[in-house]
Amino acid sequence: MSGRAFLNSVREGFKGIFRHPLVTVASVTTILLMLLLMAAFFVFSANVRSIMKKVSQQPPIEVYMKLSGTKEERDSVKIFLEANPGAILSYEELTPEQNYHRFRENLGSGSTILDNFDYNTYLPYTFHVQLTDPSYADEVVIYLEAIPGVKKVMQERSVMLFLAEATKWVNVSTLLAFVVLFLISMFIISNMVRISVYSRATEISIMKFVGATPGYIRLPYVVEGAIVGLISAICAWGIAHLAYSELFDMMMKDVSGSSYYSLVPVNSLTFWVLLICLVLGVVIGSVGSGVAVRKYIMV
Amino acid sequence: MIRFENVHKTYKSGSDALRGVSFKINDGDFVFVIGKSGSGKSTLIKLITREEKPSDGYVLMDRFPISKMQSALVPVLRRHIGMIFQDFRLIESKTVFENVAFAGEIIGMPPKKLSQMVEIVLGVVDLRHKAQAMPLELSGGEQQRVAIARAMVNDPKLIVADEPTGNLDPQTSESIMALLEEINRNGTTVVICTHDSNLVDRMKKRVIEIEDGLIIRDELASGYCGHREAKSNVEEGEKK
Repeated sequence: MSGRAFLNSVREGFKGIFRHPLVTVASVTTILLMLLLMAAFFVFSANVRSIMKKVSQQPPIEVYMKLSGTKEERDSVKIFLEANPGAILSYEELTPEQNYHRFRENLGSGSTILDNFDYNTYLPYTFHVQLTDPSYADEVVIYLEAIPGVKKVMQERSVMLFLAEATKWVNVSTLLAFVVLFLISMFIISNMVRISVYSRATEISIMKFVGATPGYIRLPYVVEGAIVGLISAICAWGIAHLAYSELFDMMMKDVSGSSYYSLVPVNSLTFWVLLICLVLGVVIGSVGSGVAVRKYIMV
Repeated sequence: MIRFENVHKTYKSGSDALRGVSFKINDGDFVFVIGKSGSGKSTLIKLITREEKPSDGYVLMDRFPISKMQSALVPVLRRHIGMIFQDFRLIESKTVFENVAFAGEIIGMPPKKLSQMVEIVLGVVDLRHKAQAMPLELSGGEQQRVAIARAMVNDPKLIVADEPTGNLDPQTSESIMALLEEINRNGTTVVICTHDSNLVDRMKKRVIEIEDGLIIRDELASGYCGHREAKSNVEEGEKK
């Protein structure tokens, strides 16, 4: 195909958008709805992942030192924790006195029974460890238990496993949902474009008789589909952005940003939503159109 | 030059449209292909334009071995063929000028050259004054002349017409045939598939008659029902 023929074909693609305005509106609406669903799914899964990450970083591991433990033994625990920044996000050493005060706080109004409690005799030093990822838990526990002076290491194993498993499933289901929604939108858009192609069947047959290549016949439809996808993507992004901003303002009114249940800030997601909408919109539109016209351009 | 050698065409339904057809059309020839409905003449035209592939045998047009040609080369072949149909097949949303220019645009002809060519061919079919008219504003004869102009704009070596006068009155049909004859006089090969016995009789051109998928007559300067005096090419071939 010559450059001039290519430009002609692209120009025809732009004209095609206005040739059948109702089909264009229907196609834009269809892709827009699909992209909105995808964007909603992406935002949902990003928030679920964020919450799970924060929850999994909660001290899932508590290290209890022996009551007779020495400072050297506590130092060896600290050395181990500091030597593994890949697995250990942070840790906190709590003295018997700090543990005592926390214990009192938890008891609330009934804490007066602890007024004469000798915490130095009965409460140990402890370490609250936060992991970067719950999947490191088993390994970290084995190492900690082997350190002299450590009495026991407690971990919420079932919670940890659930979180690791849940993160995996959220990722898989996001991917699956994207694939399914992508295929559905391709199918729908392909049928929409088929209406447009059918109404131009005579034109296509003439193009074939005068020697147009399949690429030349297909290109205007692909361009048309890509533009429809682009318009849908921008609309879908706009709606998703506004809707999430509203939701964020509504739900985060009384929630601190550092809370485990706080939503991912709008600005952190908006670029990715735009990128996903643009890429998927253009691909769905152009590939769907290209597939629809295939049958009609066979020479 | 077009050559058919023992060409068979059987459709998927099992019907034999052509059953061993052989003939040759030289450059600059004017040929009528006649026969009853369902005799196989449209199939013959479709094989020339590679709308259909032969089931067996050999079809050649110039340097294009049509019977063995790859699909990618079909558009190249069709750029050498101008096609005219009974139903004109004009794009109703385009003007006469745009309809004719359409064929040149597709092959990427430069706009200036294309514009000149369109002017020339519209002049040949005497429709320059209707260049900005829409197809539905024209009479049947005028629409067919636009179709002829479109077929000519890429300067094809061959013009294939399938019942070009089928929808026209006798007087208009005469003018269309005169136009095709004029184009042929300038060196373009013309193959016309028709039922119009009057035209065939009057023009005295080569006639290939097909019946039940076989050529039953191939005569030079003949009429719709043949003539006793002229030597049949088929008979001549048999003697050889």
